[in-house]
Amino acid sequence: MNPTESIRTRSDLLRLLCEAAELEHGIACSYLFAAFSLKRDLTEGGMTWEEQQKVRRWAGQLYFIASQEMLHLALVWNLTTAIGGTPYYLRPNFPQSPQYYPIRVPIALEPFGLRSLRRFILYEHPRALTESRDIESLLNSALAGDDAEDIVFSSIGQLYQLIESGFQSISEKELFIGKPTQQMTADLVHFPDLVPVVDRASAVKAIEEITHQGEGTQQDRDDSHFGAFVSILNELLDSKKRGSPFCPARPAICNPSAGLERAYGAKANPIEDHLAMRVAALFDSIYSLMLRMLAWSFEFDSQGVEPQLKLFCQTAIDLMPRVLLPLGEGLMRMPAGSRYPGQTAGPGFGLTRHIMLPPDADNTMRLCRERFTELATLAQELLRLELSEPAKNGCRHLQQISETFSA
Amino acid sequence: MTARDFDVVVIGAGVAGAMVAYRLALSGANVLILEAGSQNPSRAQMVGSYAIASIKSPHSPYVQSEADTKAPSPDSPNDYYDQVQAPQPQYKSTYERRTGGSTWHWLGHTPRMLRSDFRMRSRYGHGPAFPAGFVDWPISYDDLEPWYCEAEKEMGVAGSDEEWNDLFDSPRSKRFPMSPIWPSYSDLRIAEQINGKRFHDIEFRVRSTPSARNSALYDGRPPCAGNSICVPLCPIGAKYDGSVHVAKATTAGAALWEQCVVTKLEKDEDGSVHTVHFVTYGNVAQTVTAAILVLAANAIESPKLLLMSQLANSSDQVGRNLMDHLSKSTFGLAPEPLFPFRGPPSTSGIESFRDGEFRSESAGFRISLNNDGWSRKSAPYAEIIDGVMNKKLIGAELQSAVFDRVTRQVRLSCSVEVAPDSNNRVELSATTDALKLPRPKITFSPPEYSYRGLAQARETLAEMFRLIGATEVDLGDPRAYDGAGHIMGTCRMGNDTKASVVDAFCRSHDHKNLFIVGSSVFPTVGSPNPTLTLAALALRAAQDVARQLGARTAPGTTQ
Repeated sequence: MNPTESIRTRSDLLRLLCEAAELEHGIACSYLFAAFSLKRDLTEGGMTWEEQQKVRRWAGQLYFIASQEMLHLALVWNLTTAIGGTPYYLRPNFPQSPQYYPIRVPIALEPFGLRSLRRFILYEHPRALTESRDIESLLNSALAGDDAEDIVFSSIGQLYQLIESGFQSISEKELFIGKPTQQMTADLVHFPDLVPVVDRASAVKAIEEITHQGEGTQQDRDDSHFGAFVSILNELLDSKKRGSPFCPARPAICNPSAGLERAYGAKANPIEDHLAMRVAALFDSIYSLMLRMLAWSFEFDSQGVEPQLKLFCQTAIDLMPRVLLPLGEGLMRMPAGSRYPGQTAGPGFGLTRHIMLPPDADNTMRLCRERFTELATLAQELLRLELSEPAKNGCRHLQQISETFSA
Repeated sequence: MTARDFDVVVIGAGVAGAMVAYRLALSGANVLILEAGSQNPSRAQMVGSYAIASIKSPHSPYVQSEADTKAPSPDSPNDYYDQVQAPQPQYKSTYERRTGGSTWHWLGHTPRMLRSDFRMRSRYGHGPAFPAGFVDWPISYDDLEPWYCEAEKEMGVAGSDEEWNDLFDSPRSKRFPMSPIWPSYSDLRIAEQINGKRFHDIEFRVRSTPSARNSALYDGRPPCAGNSICVPLCPIGAKYDGSVHVAKATTAGAALWEQCVVTKLEKDEDGSVHTVHFVTYGNVAQTVTAAILVLAANAIESPKLLLMSQLANSSDQVGRNLMDHLSKSTFGLAPEPLFPFRGPPSTSGIESFRDGEFRSESAGFRISLNNDGWSRKSAPYAEIIDGVMNKKLIGAELQSAVFDRVTRQVRLSCSVEVAPDSNNRVELSATTDALKLPRPKITFSPPEYSYRGLAQARETLAEMFRLIGATEVDLGDPRAYDGAGHIMGTCRMGNDTKASVVDAFCRSHDHKNLFIVGSSVFPTVGSPNPTLTLAALALRAAQDVARQLGARTAPGTTQ
């Protein structure tokens, strides 16, 4: 990314928006994976009562920041459809190559810890930060003596700078060819901070919302994602300096995949435990269906299909805390298999091969109902087996959501 | 000029005192905060205490054997106040004597007062049923509006500009610092069923309630994570409390002396008040002096100290016009699951009944939609006991029955304006605490004007339950109410020195270097939760204190 370039064509702008969508999406998964790994209960060991309170706060912050990344993805989709594009939700599976994005920091699924926090800080690093040396020193202290990766300050903010240049330089009249009724609003999806994009001013507002939340402003860094991660890393380092045996995270394997046959990334770690593998596969299927339903809702003109669109959005959002979260946490309480002694599994966030949902609303409804029924049946089968408690809850909730959706 | 120990001594480290101390310390003043309680134990330790407490009350995380005798915090109407017990004590609100004050266990709601709330006598005082105690404030909504914005910024208020701009002709000049806390699923479903419907020609409209609760990362504090125990304390500090500004004040250079219980303020020959007498928990008497004193206890402890000191009372108004809001919880079972017990205890409300011509005869009120099921009248496990003992259910049947009922529990509540009445008052009791200081003697009886408002509110809540199709509706006894925790009045503000205690800038009429901040200065109270208004008044008073000291703390100067 060269911050001095500027974007002058719709196609280039759409391409960059796809890149932004991939990044927001991938980073959200990375944050969620870390949040799933945080212990909840003292019986999990490795923390005192006071440390548990700290872990709860960190979990709250991580889930919140992940939800803002989802908001960013939604805003990018609104920006995309405003100029005639379609919502883009594909991305490489994990672990991604460090060379794939210009930020040069690999996006990966790793449990909460010094390494993941170090990466999170680099993802959200502000464009212009005068204290970069301090941050470099902090990041080095986080993994001194370990196999630390190079520190590359190349921010996502620069990508949005380029995107904004496209919205500023291309003729407003020519650029905004999407219908205003295609825009997703807080009336349709329970996402109060969503900005509908209909012109240059609203596009700039949406971009500002994304960058402000991520890297903050020069006057207000502490309340950005970047500031929060720096603060969490400092707290964790302080505990280590005091010699505390504090171990806030579950020992999940990095970049898990739901089986060898699902060759995600070359360096993915296939789960070997058969039961965990089945739960992880169910997680991927729900995750994929949820994304397709959301993309469908963001793509088409809402006129005439508002009830279906609301149902899709509500169901998709319902799936996140009620099914994906407990399944994700549940996997981290199940063994990964004999190849990984002492380690637990985790969700791979695998994007399984499938179609985009079709424009025909009736057909789409039919496809989704059928799929929900299939997945609820899988959940029913899993419930007969020895699952971890959170995973059981996830399966039960999936059955309830499936029933409501099909009613 | 006489050398004093400090430029300013602030008595009380609650939200009002802490904000004043912070602003003055920032302006370069040499400030001391004296606090009867302390900041120990830590938040995490208190969460632990609450978790194991057999009785869950607002004070249960804060129980400390020494502080509870040396600087008692009432946890019920019976355990500290001296008030008539028969047929039942009528003043029911309590408070916390601790660094950070009662905001530790507040709910965090921050609606503003309305334009008309500042003009009750001139606006509605034209009928025989209008209480004689109502007065106009010496300031208007417009005078306070910039300070409301300032208080919202300091506390970190999350709210919806679209829903709250110009409510009852009370416009906002700045946007909320954060977008609103998301309404709960229950709020959304109830809104779908009642919005636009009318009752007594007033339209129902559910609005998200502004709250000093982070909906985003703000001021170095995390966003709300939905722990659902805002009362009695937020385990992660997402909800604002006064300790935030105590920390800011001390960082800005203010001194904080804890476990120092002030026993007397002493007047000089010229009528000014410079000397503060206090005792430590070890009962060691000490004094400290300052150019200006800021009394920032609460609307019970502040008048109590003034009465003990025989100060600021030439008007005979100190301790009078004690107020609260009459709070009432009502319960029903919705026809569908609304999934309570998630997120903050309340995220939305109805403001439509706060103002109207009816206020010449009966009190206005706010309505809250709550997310805490029937926990105010029985814990969820009561359903389990009922299932096992009475319905003879076990296993999956029991689980299903409990799920069916608990997910449909709804609580709707109201907060009704209390009219000022000079007979409702705080005096000094003949009984004392462990430091031999008098306890507060309280006389309180809600005016009929407020009971009429309570009756209207009860009918309105009944109508809401009807509209959502609720069953098993429990509206309670018509005249029964709870305390709202909103202790107000007792040092009323006014221009008439014979009928009020402080002027429009919270300065004592009798002693020009004595300021009184907090909700004690409210001449009338409207129906909103009082903390934002008291914070705005305190910030405004801090400017005047600073002016008297030769510094400035106008809005925007602390960026």
